[in-house]
Amino acid sequence: MSAFDVMSDTELYQPVTVEDAVVLASRLAENAWLVAGGQDTYGWLKDRAKNTQAMIELSRIPELSGIKRSASGIEIGATTTLTEIANSKLIQQLIPLLGEAAQHVASPQIRNVGSIAGNIAQDTRCWYYRRGLSCYRAGGNLCYADTPEGMNREHCLFGASRCVAVSPSDTAPALVALGATIVIADSSGNHTIAAEDFFVGPDIDITRMNILKPGQIIVSIHIPADPEINVRHYFEKVADRNVWDFALVNIAVSLEMQAGKITKARFVCAGVDCKPYRLKEVERYCENKAAGSETAEGAARLAAKGAVPLNHNHFKIALMQNLVRRALRG
Amino acid sequence: MDIVNYKQDVWGREVLLGVSWDLLWLILMFAFLFIAVHAIILSRGERTELPSSEGARLVRHLMADRLFHWILAASVIVLIVTGVLPVMGIKFSWLTLHWIAGLVMTAAVVFHIVRSLFFKDLSLMRIQAADLDDPFDDAKKSGKYSLAQKGIHWAMTVLVLAVIATGLLLFSLMTTPWWSRDNWMSETNLGWTFVVHGLSTLGLVGLISLHIYFSLRPEKRFYTRSMLKGWISSDEHKSNHDTDLWLPQQETERVRESD
Amino acid sequence: MADTDNYQHIGKNFVPPDVVGKVTGRAKYTADMSVDGMLYARMYVSPIPHGRVTHLDLSESLALDGVFGALTADDVSPANSADRTILTNEPMYVGEPIFAIAAVDERTAENAIALARITIEPLPFEVDPLSSLQAGGANAHSGGNIYVGGQEGGLKELKWSEQELQNFINQQAMPDEAINEWHYGSLEQGFADASVVIEEPFVTSGYAHMCMEPRSTLAYWQNGKCIVYGSTQSQSFVLPYLAGMLGIELKDLVYIGENCGGGFGSKIGPYPSMAIPVFLSKKIGRAVMLRVTREEEYYIGTARVGFQGRVKIGFKSDGSVSAVDLFIVQDIGSHSGGGDASSAGGAISILYQPQAMRFRGVPVLTNTTPRGAQRGPGQNQIAAVMGPIMDVAARQLNMDRVEIRRINAPDSDSRIGGKQGPVTSAYMKQALDLGARMFDWDKKRAEKTASTTHKVIGLGIGQGYHSAGAKGFDGLVRLTPDGKIHLHSGVGNLGTYSYASTTRSAAEVLKCSWENCVLEYGSSEASLPWSSYQAGSNTSFTHSRANYAAASNALEKIKQIAAMVLGGTSAEYDVARERVFNISTPSKSMSYAQVAQKAIDLGGEYSGASYPDDIHPVTQIAVQQIAGSGLIGVAKDKLPQEGTVPGLAVCYMQIELDTETGKYEILDHVAIAECGTVVHPQGLYNQMSGGAVWGIGLAGYERHAYDSQNGLPANVGFYQCKPPTYLDTPLEIKVGAVDIADPQSPYGIRGIGEPAMGCASAALMSALSDALDGQLFNQSPVTADMIINLVRGELDAENTSGVAFNPQMKAHSF
Repeated sequence: MSAFDVMSDTELYQPVTVEDAVVLASRLAENAWLVAGGQDTYGWLKDRAKNTQAMIELSRIPELSGIKRSASGIEIGATTTLTEIANSKLIQQLIPLLGEAAQHVASPQIRNVGSIAGNIAQDTRCWYYRRGLSCYRAGGNLCYADTPEGMNREHCLFGASRCVAVSPSDTAPALVALGATIVIADSSGNHTIAAEDFFVGPDIDITRMNILKPGQIIVSIHIPADPEINVRHYFEKVADRNVWDFALVNIAVSLEMQAGKITKARFVCAGVDCKPYRLKEVERYCENKAAGSETAEGAARLAAKGAVPLNHNHFKIALMQNLVRRALRG
Repeated sequence: MDIVNYKQDVWGREVLLGVSWDLLWLILMFAFLFIAVHAIILSRGERTELPSSEGARLVRHLMADRLFHWILAASVIVLIVTGVLPVMGIKFSWLTLHWIAGLVMTAAVVFHIVRSLFFKDLSLMRIQAADLDDPFDDAKKSGKYSLAQKGIHWAMTVLVLAVIATGLLLFSLMTTPWWSRDNWMSETNLGWTFVVHGLSTLGLVGLISLHIYFSLRPEKRFYTRSMLKGWISSDEHKSNHDTDLWLPQQETERVRESD
Repeated sequence: MADTDNYQHIGKNFVPPDVVGKVTGRAKYTADMSVDGMLYARMYVSPIPHGRVTHLDLSESLALDGVFGALTADDVSPANSADRTILTNEPMYVGEPIFAIAAVDERTAENAIALARITIEPLPFEVDPLSSLQAGGANAHSGGNIYVGGQEGGLKELKWSEQELQNFINQQAMPDEAINEWHYGSLEQGFADASVVIEEPFVTSGYAHMCMEPRSTLAYWQNGKCIVYGSTQSQSFVLPYLAGMLGIELKDLVYIGENCGGGFGSKIGPYPSMAIPVFLSKKIGRAVMLRVTREEEYYIGTARVGFQGRVKIGFKSDGSVSAVDLFIVQDIGSHSGGGDASSAGGAISILYQPQAMRFRGVPVLTNTTPRGAQRGPGQNQIAAVMGPIMDVAARQLNMDRVEIRRINAPDSDSRIGGKQGPVTSAYMKQALDLGARMFDWDKKRAEKTASTTHKVIGLGIGQGYHSAGAKGFDGLVRLTPDGKIHLHSGVGNLGTYSYASTTRSAAEVLKCSWENCVLEYGSSEASLPWSSYQAGSNTSFTHSRANYAAASNALEKIKQIAAMVLGGTSAEYDVARERVFNISTPSKSMSYAQVAQKAIDLGGEYSGASYPDDIHPVTQIAVQQIAGSGLIGVAKDKLPQEGTVPGLAVCYMQIELDTETGKYEILDHVAIAECGTVVHPQGLYNQMSGGAVWGIGLAGYERHAYDSQNGLPANVGFYQCKPPTYLDTPLEIKVGAVDIADPQSPYGIRGIGEPAMGCASAALMSALSDALDGQLFNQSPVTADMIINLVRGELDAENTSGVAFNPQMKAHSF
């Protein structure tokens, strides 16, 4: 082990069509690393904590980028930058939740190059894992964070299964709350999957954060949006710093309203589970209730039900409760 | 092909990670080959009339032992499925099932050990010098258990105890409803624990494959039935066992009740 | 107010010559340099917190194409004490360099490192000082767990009984045994006089210096001379120490440190890794560049000392401090260093003027990154501790919080430290008053009402102190026949522009236009005089004096030459607009250019052919280099000076805290400098603002986090270490200055760097406590999770909120 800072030798492929990218990804399979903005790539590779024989750069494929109106909502290309999403009038109009979430990612510099697909498919930020230690998630046989001595302030409340890492994404909970679907391409064609099902916990696959397999590429993200439906969105991120930081806890909320009452609710948090965590009890509780302080208090009590805190992250329970309260209080 | 895998420990030193799961395919291949060869050879041999299952029913396995066997079998199957399928690429939430099955198996094994040591005649399972002729003397009949059965039993005993001992160690390193995990074991010892756990698992996979194969073979099927229903017929007894060495009781109402 | 109206340069803004390069990106730092045939070095750093290298085989590494050589601990002088070494066979912390390899590029060097075969036998380690003091706790160093400074000092072992430890932790009693101690007055009497006694524990975290430019070094040898490009705060000060480290003569060393992308106390002088490319270059015979990575910077870049301590303070009924008893266990990391604790005591002694005081400290070694001075080392940690404690006292005494600070504020008759020495001057009351006016304290305090929502307002006041001046260094100026006035500054360019602003004294003496001044700086080849270290807030005071001395020497020579050429005595001459003229007959005059030419003709001391023998060898070499090129003004600062030169600062802060998220916004921020005459208003604004941001970092964001089971540091990157960002700091920082001249500086100038930070830390801690009804955190930094925990009234399993002092509340805990 050493403090490496220079990437090992790697081949770089720069396809300009999705077809070529899929062929390459399929051929190179686990020997390839997909890169768009590179914000979760170069740290790994320069530290040599992860190595790859080849990189497939996706940011030169025009059809992977862009935001457009579709019949049922909005379609966002995989390599569309977070800045483009945050600044999109269409998104601000129809799905402001995603715009807000994108606006809160990292820093302007990172948003300028970071892609939406990269943001949702990014790896966890557990510092032990990022250090290149051979923990469960890295294919090893133990967890260094979930110990009495572990520095686990940023780790999970839910879904721990040997690994206690969390999903660090700001846009992922927003997409789950919005009921988005993700289009994935591979050699057998395109596949669509609900954003919620895209993410995987350590109980099922401890070395991956999502269902993307080698050879597969995220092509686009579809977000349903019906201007006829009255929706209320809420996004809040609490991080130590207001710029260039990962959420301690964030919350994305989408409420469908009718006659002042919540008809359908989605509450999703990141920073508390290895995948975006849906607060299903809160969602059920809110249905057919008016948004307001009373509902907020009731919902807040359910917000962190079932949480299993680690030594240093008890505060996340109160934080989740408070964020639910704020989302409903408006 | 590697037998074990290595990793770097927290301070960058090379330590054992665990068994190389490539061995699983090797074990499965050997088991399949053995079964295939064995089945072919036996299918070419003279077909002998199977002893009749009619007639007097002699007690081979009491209810308690049958229950133990099937609980053990179920837990082992669950353990293998939950332990091995994810390694083979079939992803599902396996860990909780795995350790629950492991605890069930441990409890069953403890029960069996206590029962065997204090309530049963352990000598029936002891491998005697005389047993060693078994494979070379077709005419020779065994007592309650043949050398092969005793061999499988003791091999299973060693593997199961190894897998339980290492499993319990690994269990102590997990967060459970009763305790939170810590890394009390050195990574070197952890590697060894995983290696032994993995190797014993692989051994069990092989052994159980053979065990299932034999239990399904026509000439052995009555043993399977006996493990389900408890009895063998008098004919089956006579054709396979030396009545001097093992003379089971007839199944009676009393025996049935005592089950 | 200091009267700067009659000054041409002092108190006026100007643009230092390096500014354009800094803002356009054209400025070159060491890592930007390139020399023909240059190789790149990379280091292998320890993965283990404490161990012994038992086997090192570099044969495969060296056999790799493109690899030119390696340097191991066996090639450099071995460690025989707790001092940091260049390379080591007994790494004391994760990240300590063990060997280095030079190759055609960094990739090859790293590939070679990956091929090295190394075995490191683990040794006992400890990352928490209290655990090391505990009987049975591991010693960080094989030789002990305590580092004692001084001649009789060295490594020692100190263990506390379980009872002593528990007493310390549970506030029962302070331990009997301390390593460092000073006191004055009668504590007993002080506490007897007190009507309020407050006793509080505290923990302040260590954290990295976070230099934007990692400490890269380029070195090569040419004609027997060693040329080193480095990143240091100081320039001339580096020379003798670097020469000593390299084992070469001063005259054989060329050191270039033109720009320093942040040192913050960690690059005051040469540091061990500078020697790696030098020795590799000597071994291989080619130039070697060592570009230190961000991660390595966190390992070898040193860090602030962490405190775990207790303070007991007595207040008389009028609010004056009657006694202070301070005990600090300080985490000094893996190697010797860190006088922070005693400095913390000194800061209390001046800022609050206790009638009696005792300081005791125990410097404990831990297997964590080495510690060193970081802006206000000790003073700024204790400022953060004391801010809210003074508020508690004010509340208990029913006094205004500004008033209690005014009552105790130092003035020019105040005394400091264990020896109770004098200060040159001090105007803390004026600073508090100016700040209160700019902040509108009375109005804000009156408007603050109990909040009924989750948004609460907190008002904070903070005070900062650091000694801010030294004496006895050299100045050097030169007039050349082209009419230019060369101001030679041996001061390092650490980013404060003091290398330039201190030369304004010389320009002021010589009454020349700034446009005709040429600043010589950044390289020993530019013939720079011996200078103090660029640290300790001292440069402004120290080198304003040294420049004054040199320019006065030049002025005298100018007048003498005028008298020689134009007749009369030198007393009959004065200077203006770069001419020397006869006071009664102004038409009898010479230009500086003519004077310079005459000086060359005259030789001797005028041209630098001879020079005073009391100047430092570094200055002597500098003068030798430029002798004969003009009129040389050179002198050692022998102006009278007595007592400590205090730099003082005050900060007022208003925050709005969201108790549901633990986040807060700084709504108003006023920073007041009490640093004598303001020499450079824009520079002062930058100092106060930069200090404020950093202070916010100390109080709210930055800390080390170590995994105690494995001795691993959790934060080795900018994003993990969390220095405050643009959106975490106030939109506007209002800066004011008391601006009263110090009598011991020719232009009344004192330094200000460090207190600018301490006062902001204290103000934020004070404001947070005020927002939460006076609750104390007793810990810095105070992060969002701690606030949430405090508000919900629950503690984590490991008590991260720090409400009570708990054995688990370790300095390295999140």
